Amino acid sequence: MMEPMYLLENVRQIYGGRTVLDVERLEIQAHTITGVIGPNGSGKSTLMRILAFVEKPTSGRVSFQGLPWAQADLATRRHMAMLSQEPYLLKRSVQANVAYGLKIRGISDTPARVAEALKQVGLDPERFARRSWRELSGGEAQRVALAARLVVRPNVLLLDEPTASVDRKNSDLIQRAALDARNRSGTTLIIISHQLEWLQEVSDHILSMNYGHLVRVQ
Amino acid sequence: MTRRGICAFMGAMVLLMACALSASAEDALMMATTTSTDNTGLLDVLAPKFQEDTGIELKWTAVGTGKALEMGKNCDVDVLLVHAPAAEKAYVAAGYGKDRTEVMYNDFVIIGPPDDPAGVKGLPVVEAMKKMANEKAHFTSRGDNSGTNKKEISLWKKAGMEVPDKEAWYVQTGQGMIATIHVATEKGAYTMTDRGTFIKFEDTHGGNPPLAILAEGDPVLFNQYSALAVNPERCPNARYELARTFTEWITSKDIQAFIGDFKLLGKTLFTPNAK
Amino acid sequence: MDYILSGLIQALELLFQGDPETFSAVKTTVLASSLSVAASMAIGTPVGFWLGYVPFPGRRPARVVVDTLLSLPTVVIGLLCYAFMTHRGPLGDWGLLFTLPGMAVGQTILGLPIVIAMTATAVESLDQRLKQTLITLGADRRQILLTSLWEARFSLALAGAAAYGRIVSEVGISMMIGGNIKWHTRTITTAIALETGKGQFATGIALGLILMTVALLVNLAMTGLKRMSGT
Repeated sequence: MMEPMYLLENVRQIYGGRTVLDVERLEIQAHTITGVIGPNGSGKSTLMRILAFVEKPTSGRVSFQGLPWAQADLATRRHMAMLSQEPYLLKRSVQANVAYGLKIRGISDTPARVAEALKQVGLDPERFARRSWRELSGGEAQRVALAARLVVRPNVLLLDEPTASVDRKNSDLIQRAALDARNRSGTTLIIISHQLEWLQEVSDHILSMNYGHLVRVQ
Repeated sequence: MTRRGICAFMGAMVLLMACALSASAEDALMMATTTSTDNTGLLDVLAPKFQEDTGIELKWTAVGTGKALEMGKNCDVDVLLVHAPAAEKAYVAAGYGKDRTEVMYNDFVIIGPPDDPAGVKGLPVVEAMKKMANEKAHFTSRGDNSGTNKKEISLWKKAGMEVPDKEAWYVQTGQGMIATIHVATEKGAYTMTDRGTFIKFEDTHGGNPPLAILAEGDPVLFNQYSALAVNPERCPNARYELARTFTEWITSKDIQAFIGDFKLLGKTLFTPNAK
Repeated sequence: MDYILSGLIQALELLFQGDPETFSAVKTTVLASSLSVAASMAIGTPVGFWLGYVPFPGRRPARVVVDTLLSLPTVVIGLLCYAFMTHRGPLGDWGLLFTLPGMAVGQTILGLPIVIAMTATAVESLDQRLKQTLITLGADRRQILLTSLWEARFSLALAGAAAYGRIVSEVGISMMIGGNIKWHTRTITTAIALETGKGQFATGIALGLILMTVALLVNLAMTGLKRMSGT
């Protein structure tokens, strides 16, 4: 049997006495698309951060590709990329922003891969590569942020409300790019979104969350 | 770009530091003198001559007499050129200085408003001081323990008084001579100054100064300048040989004549009197 | 009033006639202030970063101390340095008194609290999302630190400019440690003090204008650099 990408057992996250996340068991298989829905404060973002190995749960076991949290190191974290709700761009050009992930991994051949990533999100490299972070619209900035994650070809892509604050056109481009990643590179996708229809269309599984608990739907 | 740039910049700075530190090592004589001496410009013409004749570079810092003496005690300088004979003699006696050599003199004068409200013109200076105190005439003092200030204090004492420190008409500026003269001008007050500074003051006002000399020529207004070497026994780092060279040079016939010829506005500032 | 006008004329004369004393003072000022600003930034930026980034016990009192040191008068710094650098003092053998490096040391002490305080504030004001973004992009601790520093570069440049302004305009330290020695440790500001003390107010103003010109050139250079790094 294939080892799950993620395995969570009895994971609890407690902030100042309040339990924001309580998951008995969760398995996520590789190359799948998992959608996450739920009202505000239901623990979605907390779950994402735990899956991204950015935040450590108060208790419970989390393992990635069979590797428990304690043994996860920088190399492990570099298999995942997360795009938060309001992404933050570095104060540099689009080119430099997208290339950052490659630079810190010591990968060269950046111009080609940056161009590829920009095209994936529907941005013309000729026009956008040299623009500064100040000269982008909200939707363009969002797409640049996504490109910065796609460029490192992560095993797992975690998207927290990727289309929440953008218009229809940008929304479509972002959704298409995400799907592309899974279809072409086998990237495992975990997506939080309010767009239920789209999630139902693309997801293999949908998790519904409420008060920190999750219920599998579909 | 930036990392290499920063390293290069740092390297340049360290190099600069090293250069700057080593540059001061050559044959140089460090002198402490007073601001009034420096302000006459005499050292500006003597220093190049000294370097020409002896190859030694004269570097000097101009501070108050008190500070100059302190610097000698702290072994921060090699030679002093000051004008406070009583303090100098005590200094040598205490072992801080050596080879006190008289070099030149000028004099102090009492200046004040030309209409002379206290009526001190032409009086011997001690009488003038008494009259000013009696009339409670406005008087500005440097009040900074400089050579000039010490002289002024000695005059009050000779007039049989304590320094009128707390009197309303006696103003202590705590500053240099020119600043004190400016305050005197503003207040229409009297003050005591060295003649050299007054000549410069005259010059600044195109020969028509707002204050005039009212009392002068009294032997007690004599202002003696001397050179002292810092005692090498107390200060092993003091360049005693260079200090001696300086003292011998400044008391030599040629240089003494040169000092006598040093004029400002056609008037002599210093009278050489080395023995 | 005529001081100001004759000062302006004299400034132009001094500059275009290449007056050696003036240029010596300019050189000394530029050299000393460059050394001290560089040292203040080199030492102050890491310390300020640590103060703003790392929560350690005693961090708040430390910050209060730094902010208080911003009010250190230059004459006091000069006095304290003199006490150490005088030949009878602990650092007497280093031969720093009456030298340019000695002045730079004193001026560095002046600039350090400025750089530390402003860097700490700059780091504290960094967007909260930055650290998380860097982590999710896979940066290690060193990369997070360096990238955060670079992200704060505009505020750091301001810290440098503030330190520079304070250093280049000070008199107390240069006077006490440097001794205002002609050709060696006479800066523009100590020269102004000297000329004003001699009653040469117009010359004082002239030198002041020259100092402002130097400052203007430096700031133009800095603006150019900022623009280059802004993309």
